[in-house]
Amino acid sequence: MVKHIVNVLIENKPYISDPEGDTILKDLVIKGGYTNVKSIRVAKMLKLEVEANDPKEAEEIVKRLCDDLRLYNPVLSVCKVSVVQG
Amino acid sequence: MLSNEELEYLKHKLGREPNSLELSMVEAEWSEHCSYKSSKPYLKAFNTQGKYVLIGPGYDAGVLAIDDMLITVHIESHNHPSAVEPYGGAATGVGGVIRDILSMGSRPIALLNGLRFGDIEKDSSARWLFKHVVRGIADYGNCIGVPTVAGEVEFDNSFDNYCLVDVACIGLIDKDKLVLMQADAKDLIIIAGNSTGKDGIHGASFASKVLDDADSNRSAVQIPDPFMGKLLIDATMECVNARCVKAIKDLGGGGLACCLSELADKLGKGMSIDLANLHLREHMSVEEIMISESQERMLYIVEPSRLSTFKEIMDKYEIPYSILGYVTDDGYLDIKYDGRKIAKIKASIVANAPIAKRKARKPKYLEEIPVREPDGYNEGNIAEYLLSLLSDPSIASKEWVYRQYDHEVGLRTVIKPGYHDAAVIRLSDNKFLAVKLDGNSKHCYLDPYNGAMGCFAEACRNVIAVGAEPIAMVDHLQFGSPEDEHVFYTFVESVKGLADYGRYMQIPCVGGKVSFYNETKYGAIKPTPVVCILGLIDSYSKIVKDRAKDGDMLVIVGLTKDEMGGSEYYEYIHKIQSSNVPRVDLEYDKAVMHAMLELIDGRVVRAIHDCSKGGFGVALAEMCINSSIGAYVNLDRIPNTCSRLDNLIFSESHSRFLIAVSKDNLSRVEYTLSKYSKGNNGIHYSVIGYFNSSDSIVLEHGSSTIGLSLDKAIDAYSSNIPRLMDHA
Amino acid sequence: MHIKVGIVVFPGSNCDRDVYHVFKNILKVDTELIWHKRDDLRGFDAIILPGGFAYADRLRAGVIAAHSPVMQEVKRLAKDGLPILGICNGFQVLVESELLPGAFMRNDTLRFICRWVSLRVNVDSKRSPFTRLLSNDQILNIPIANQEGKYYVDDDTLNLMHKNRQIVLTYTNNPNGSLQSIACICNEQGNVMGIMPHPERASDPMLNPLNYGNDGLLIFKSLLAYLGCDHHA
Repeated sequence: MVKHIVNVLIENKPYISDPEGDTILKDLVIKGGYTNVKSIRVAKMLKLEVEANDPKEAEEIVKRLCDDLRLYNPVLSVCKVSVVQG
Repeated sequence: MLSNEELEYLKHKLGREPNSLELSMVEAEWSEHCSYKSSKPYLKAFNTQGKYVLIGPGYDAGVLAIDDMLITVHIESHNHPSAVEPYGGAATGVGGVIRDILSMGSRPIALLNGLRFGDIEKDSSARWLFKHVVRGIADYGNCIGVPTVAGEVEFDNSFDNYCLVDVACIGLIDKDKLVLMQADAKDLIIIAGNSTGKDGIHGASFASKVLDDADSNRSAVQIPDPFMGKLLIDATMECVNARCVKAIKDLGGGGLACCLSELADKLGKGMSIDLANLHLREHMSVEEIMISESQERMLYIVEPSRLSTFKEIMDKYEIPYSILGYVTDDGYLDIKYDGRKIAKIKASIVANAPIAKRKARKPKYLEEIPVREPDGYNEGNIAEYLLSLLSDPSIASKEWVYRQYDHEVGLRTVIKPGYHDAAVIRLSDNKFLAVKLDGNSKHCYLDPYNGAMGCFAEACRNVIAVGAEPIAMVDHLQFGSPEDEHVFYTFVESVKGLADYGRYMQIPCVGGKVSFYNETKYGAIKPTPVVCILGLIDSYSKIVKDRAKDGDMLVIVGLTKDEMGGSEYYEYIHKIQSSNVPRVDLEYDKAVMHAMLELIDGRVVRAIHDCSKGGFGVALAEMCINSSIGAYVNLDRIPNTCSRLDNLIFSESHSRFLIAVSKDNLSRVEYTLSKYSKGNNGIHYSVIGYFNSSDSIVLEHGSSTIGLSLDKAIDAYSSNIPRLMDHA
Repeated sequence: MHIKVGIVVFPGSNCDRDVYHVFKNILKVDTELIWHKRDDLRGFDAIILPGGFAYADRLRAGVIAAHSPVMQEVKRLAKDGLPILGICNGFQVLVESELLPGAFMRNDTLRFICRWVSLRVNVDSKRSPFTRLLSNDQILNIPIANQEGKYYVDDDTLNLMHKNRQIVLTYTNNPNGSLQSIACICNEQGNVMGIMPHPERASDPMLNPLNYGNDGLLIFKSLLAYLGCDHHA
């Protein structure tokens, strides 16, 4: 068993509005002069430390966890799982 | 760090050198924040006895007895941490004051807060602090389900790059369930709540020194956990109801060191503890364990026979706990680590810091500020001045703030924030508590004695305005460094002002806090004593809940004088400082208070609003805005000794109220007031106008008229703060 | 007849005692607080999931609570047609338990909002046990207090909800950006209802001095009327 670090990125579906991201863009980033930035979406990231035999198993365990325990609400969000270490 | 004198004193008391752990413990407890070493002698001036007072200052909270209920009250501040990290600092401030109320075995039922920042109209960092402090208080208070019902926000340049965050909490418990600290040898000492970690090390001494470099102070910030805060409330209340705890104490400033020494000293007992028993988040040295200020931890003293009940309750809520040790009879804090003796020191030595004798010297500026009058004043601009004052952030509507606070949870909030001058919470079907907090740093800077007394008087007026009789106060005294003799002078004078008012009015002080070292590299803050008043209303029908109606007459009580020093009119509009700060005439103020209470008792007034910041003009406008109604006033009928028209309208003289009275009740009101107006120091009153459903506020003076559109007034009052903060 | 109402308490729930007070002291109904670890809910005629911050809304409001042992039982009882009301955080728990459709997001203002709002009834009184004393188009005044009260659901489900008349109350003045101003919905069967505003806070005229109303009480009294007991409180 090897230690793996798996990231779970929970992001709202693209057609769902994101007032928080919009505010950060309009009232901070654009006002701060960074006019090259065209859009900001806020997401939530969870970093999981998972013991598994290989990265593939680690990824599967986490994908199952996300769906099983409703780590994300599928009405609202999508969930991307990626192994970053191990 | 201990001063040389303190170190010598400690060695003398011990009869030897302290070891490093003992030294750390004493340093934490002898910090200004925990020991009150500079302020203690002066605080003795407060009168602490009162009709409803059960316990005065000294415990974790003051206690009042009303019918079969006990009300506990406490006030805390978190100025330094909030200036560095406003969200966490403010949130942990709420957490701390809640736990002090829990320490009496009472359930927290209401929160209030007083906030002070720099100029939010010009300074984006002041806006940043304001935004995150409010969010921190909201997130914590809302999560634990304690309503935030009242507060105050003030802005002044002396708070630039800094902020003051005062949080007060009110608790409730049945008379027979009050947990008074008591313990016997062999009783268990248990710490429950979050595990201890390295956060908040040196927090108490952090609060006791001047803020220099923001970044290097980051390690002193504590992380709030309102979920554990809520679990601790529920578990503690179950323990109280099950009667399985003999003493409860919050772990706050100075962590275990201060908690253990203060509790042992109060109990007149000793404690034998093994630090290896404490549940920790990470490996820590014994010193770190003793002074860590990790949040959401409580100490309980439990008799061994009641341990299983205690454990059942903690396990139900899945709150981690560890049995640290047991109570002894020898008065010593006997500290071991994993069986090894580490330190042994008498609790009474740790808990009783030597008084720091500070010098007080009147600052030159107090001698040198003249009585000034504004240049460039144009009588034709009065309407503009009034509109401008309505948008002054220190006066403007704070709806942007209180909508973020859940003020309804608990089903007790009868008069909600923004309705009237104070909040009213229901204690029972026929007992109600009015609460309000007030401060005024501009007045206190220019005249500490009269300014402080004025804060007390204003807070009383606010609870009277909703129909309550003031019955107790807690205060928060906030100043710069006590080592500065000029700052210390302002402290001494402020305490005198508060103590004199309290004694004369017979309103006891049941607790309070002192916060020194509120300075940045730019200098000390203005002296800022804040007063939190509790008022009692003994029947639902006495609560003055209505708003002025069309046709109601407008009566003013009190005398308006040329007291412009520190007024919002002088400071916000004309940017001048003058020494003629409003003074409370004690005899007069008392007579006005009694007259108002008699009117309230007679249920003959429709609505009451007190005159304070912005004077009569702002008070009238606020009444009209709140009631969505216009008014006509003949200014010549206002009792006054003013030399100019703008003074009449904007003076912040004390002891004044505006009353809306239905035509039917007018003669009864006049009759009552006339009884108090007889004699040399009789009160003044006058019917000065009426409310009408026009769309303007009309002030007549001689043959000229000043008119203000109600819509413009509403807009000025309600839109400035949201406009500034929505994009902050 | 003897009615018993159960109020589920999760770690962090904070409106349980308020709802308890309304049922027990104002409506004089036998009421019990149910700690979330309990998995046997026999004997209750209705279950209320109260407001608050179960698990401090961590990860997402209501999601951790939805996995509590008690929710298995609540799901079973819901299928059997028992009246179940979720208030605010309780509504969020029902959504995360998939007993009601949709999802909740942060209010458009990004801040917590505590204020009274006015709501329009969009269904007939027979739609749900909790609407018995309400009539279509009636206006109710009830306060909201939340940070994540913005309701969202996908188009297909929304159409179904309209078809099945599942949208019970809508805001007359949308305070938070909720889709189609949705404030309160029920399941297809009608026995499970979720409401964002807090009816228990509008059940005592003493607490509503400006309007002297107690519209919220109608929702609780509706339940009692449905259960067949005529309580006059």
